[in-house]
Amino acid sequence: MKRLRTIVVAMFAVLIAGAYALPAGAVDGSSAALSIVPKKNYSIKPGGSVKDKLIIRNLSTTQSLHLTLRVIDFTYYGEDGTPKLFLAKDAPQTTWSLKPFMTVGKSVDIGPGKSKSVPMRIAIPAGHGAGSYYSAIIYSGGPGQGSGQVGLSASGVTLVFVTVPGKVKEDIQLKKLGAYDTGSGSYHFIMTQTPKNIGYTIQNKGNVVESPVGSITLKDMFGHTTTIDDVNPASSLALIGQTRTFTPCIKYKTDGKTQGSQMHANGCDTAPLWPGLYHATVDLFYGQNGNNTQEVVKNAVFWYLPWWFIIIMLIIIAVIAYYIWKFTRKVKGKVNGPKRLSRRR
Amino acid sequence: MALLLMVFVITMPAGATTRLQDRGLFMYSSAPGATTDYKVAFTYMTPESIGSVDMLFCNNPIPYEPCVTPTGLDVSHATLSDQTGETGFSILSQNTNHIILTRPSTMISGATAPSTYTLSGIKNPTDTTQAFSIRLKTLDAENGTGPQVDFGSVRGQVTTGIELQTQVPPMLLFCAAQEVADNCTSTSDTYYSDMGRLSPKSTLTAQSQMAVGTNATGGFAITVTGDSLTAGTSVINPSATPTASQPGTNQFGINLVENTSPAVGEDPQGTWLNALPTSGYGTPNKYKFVSGDVIASSPNVSLMKKFTVSYIVNSAPSLRAGVYSTTITYIASGRF
Repeated sequence: MKRLRTIVVAMFAVLIAGAYALPAGAVDGSSAALSIVPKKNYSIKPGGSVKDKLIIRNLSTTQSLHLTLRVIDFTYYGEDGTPKLFLAKDAPQTTWSLKPFMTVGKSVDIGPGKSKSVPMRIAIPAGHGAGSYYSAIIYSGGPGQGSGQVGLSASGVTLVFVTVPGKVKEDIQLKKLGAYDTGSGSYHFIMTQTPKNIGYTIQNKGNVVESPVGSITLKDMFGHTTTIDDVNPASSLALIGQTRTFTPCIKYKTDGKTQGSQMHANGCDTAPLWPGLYHATVDLFYGQNGNNTQEVVKNAVFWYLPWWFIIIMLIIIAVIAYYIWKFTRKVKGKVNGPKRLSRRR
Repeated sequence: MALLLMVFVITMPAGATTRLQDRGLFMYSSAPGATTDYKVAFTYMTPESIGSVDMLFCNNPIPYEPCVTPTGLDVSHATLSDQTGETGFSILSQNTNHIILTRPSTMISGATAPSTYTLSGIKNPTDTTQAFSIRLKTLDAENGTGPQVDFGSVRGQVTTGIELQTQVPPMLLFCAAQEVADNCTSTSDTYYSDMGRLSPKSTLTAQSQMAVGTNATGGFAITVTGDSLTAGTSVINPSATPTASQPGTNQFGINLVENTSPAVGEDPQGTWLNALPTSGYGTPNKYKFVSGDVIASSPNVSLMKKFTVSYIVNSAPSLRAGVYSTTITYIASGRF
């Protein structure tokens, strides 16, 4: 019995040792170096269609690129513009899906350093309801040759948006407005650092994607006014059902060359704001072609109180308090002094 | 101080405006640069005499801000082809982005339905990336001067099925391999990482690189998908939250920064500061892997940035023997 137990333990030990001594096996990886169009926008009437080409470039100068193309649906991640891709083959179709209306080539082979165009077509059936429809085309790279524990594969995605014109349901609710700190990703009623962004959060309750335009006006306690004249410089979208936060800069960095939406990429500069209370007013416009232009106006307040200002204020308050106390003491001394003397007498 | 704060909050000024209601614009064609008809609709609000309607075409809808004419727009040859509701108007004057309609100053009828004005022969703007507006003003004076009665703006945008060839089209460049050049012009052509032999006493590491860039104003996002390392039905659990490397436990994770424990990886390289690892994948010595997570993104234009992905694998002594492997897919997409 003792011998049997020794054999079993020994076998187990060999098994475990073998497991750790096993070399990494061969696994095919895949990768690609590609250039694609990130976004496509179309307006197609019911019964109409659009034919277009997806231009794909193979950035590798030594290897061919094999891509398979597939239409997938997507929605939003949180309150920004990052798409959440429904990659599973059995993912349920969204109500805004373009899958039934879009045809695209199944695969493409591109030689090293070459470009190719893949035809695509979107046809909207006659009588189809107005609104926004969107899906994505995913370009999946073929497997690379090699062996290892971690294989790599690179894919690209083109987002496709279609607006079907007509009477649509448009409803944007302005949820929040105020000084926004992009570092922490939150609104602040009191800012101790110079505010660089004014944020506003909208909720899209309509059946169409919205890209609001308009301006934000900041007014300080002394009447100085600062205007953000483009509240959506990247023409970003609030998808159907999405609550999206926009954070335009109070002042954009400029290199003297870039303008408009390109300036947005340079980031925010420090605006010359005075400490104190600020009133922010946002004036948003939205509305699809042929529908009423809707306007949303909202006010909010916030404080900009830098630490140096708070310290100076505390010192001033302390000095004032000191002099008040000194003055009070002096007055009390004058009032109480003669009484005490008279009592003594 | 708190009292002062309250006083300022309570004494907030309230705004009061008189805006045209039910404002709308229908562009008969929204193709960039097309010559088409615009139907402008709105309901007059203030019961006063109206002698003119001022229509100013600008990028920005706010009436008190400087007007920048939408690129490519031309209304200088437009004609007033139809009108309903408050009628009797004709074009008094017009230029590239400005039309004044006039009529003998008459009290408005008070109809609740919107009045419409169809302007034919307008050349659409050409910039598909930017909306434009028509700033509307109604005035008592017939010559479009003097105090305004009501005001408001309508919004429009050109869209197209075919990209304009005159513009630099938005592009998204992406590559991934064990090593890549900053601009994706070359890669090591190696698409796998052999991490060596698993041991409960040490951490296996590997790294790969990817470069990404876009001139699209919406920026980019990189999503990671795939399974953790598996051998048959045996799985090395991935870290669902950013976790330090723990030898002797089953753990698989990645991040996109330089680490010291264990020493692996590099910080992102490139001049574009707006392209960054996302919060779960940007802390040194903390590793995470959740399929479907966005691991890096840029909120706007970022021409080229190189990320080094660090992989760590730890194994418990009880881990079943086998060849553990996986394929990780990185998906680069635009943003909206």
